[in-house]
Amino acid sequence: MDAGSLQQAVAELRPTLLRIARLQLRNDAWAEDAVSETLISALEGADRFGGQSQLKTWVVGILKHKIIDQFRRSGREVSLEAAAEAAQVETFDELYKQDGHRINEPLEWGDPEQALSRVQFFEILQMCVDELPAALARVFMMREWLELETQQICKENDITSTNCFVMLHRARVRLRECLEMRWFAQ
Amino acid sequence: MMGWLRITCRQAQVLLSQRQDGGLGPLQVLRLRLHLTACDWCSRVARQFRFISEAVRRIGS
Repeated sequence: MDAGSLQQAVAELRPTLLRIARLQLRNDAWAEDAVSETLISALEGADRFGGQSQLKTWVVGILKHKIIDQFRRSGREVSLEAAAEAAQVETFDELYKQDGHRINEPLEWGDPEQALSRVQFFEILQMCVDELPAALARVFMMREWLELETQQICKENDITSTNCFVMLHRARVRLRECLEMRWFAQ
Repeated sequence: MMGWLRITCRQAQVLLSQRQDGGLGPLQVLRLRLHLTACDWCSRVARQFRFISEAVRRIGS
């Protein structure tokens, strides 16, 4: 790929990168910064793109690093939001009987792998993540999308490991309910 | 007997999530495994939690 084509291909990824960065950072200005830095890094380091992987995969890899950098720069704001979210008590009483067993049978999702090839599924998934409270979504995406260890997530958000586990659990339960209602029950 | 190993679905689902984040001790692993052996509903939720991780990791790929 020549320099001009690469530049154009990288620029065309901007809307996708911005959507992902917003999903993760929950702050438009931070997302814009992370994406701008990603595009600059990608263009500056174009000679390192060997073409072995897809261009999008390579650029998204750069974005992940820029998002982590952004978390570090916004440390105090992120940790205040995380602390407030960690203080929320969510018991999911609507899901369980008093003896602790589930009230309703969870829906059988069939072969959910099929959903992974559908663009619409990812739109629903992103909508479900978007509906999570900001700090909850951030912690969850740090774990599952950025694939950070919980210890590092605790440090970046200045929360205890117990709070971190609780927040991740709350995010998973909410996402499960959301995907079941919006995709698998349809 | 062995009642101390028994957990509810509510407890199991907290442990399921914690297992994905590497936060379970050996006793919790044992309790969770025993519960999952007997509870189809929680086994289903376990598969669904794993699927959600897989799906989120594919965002943007």
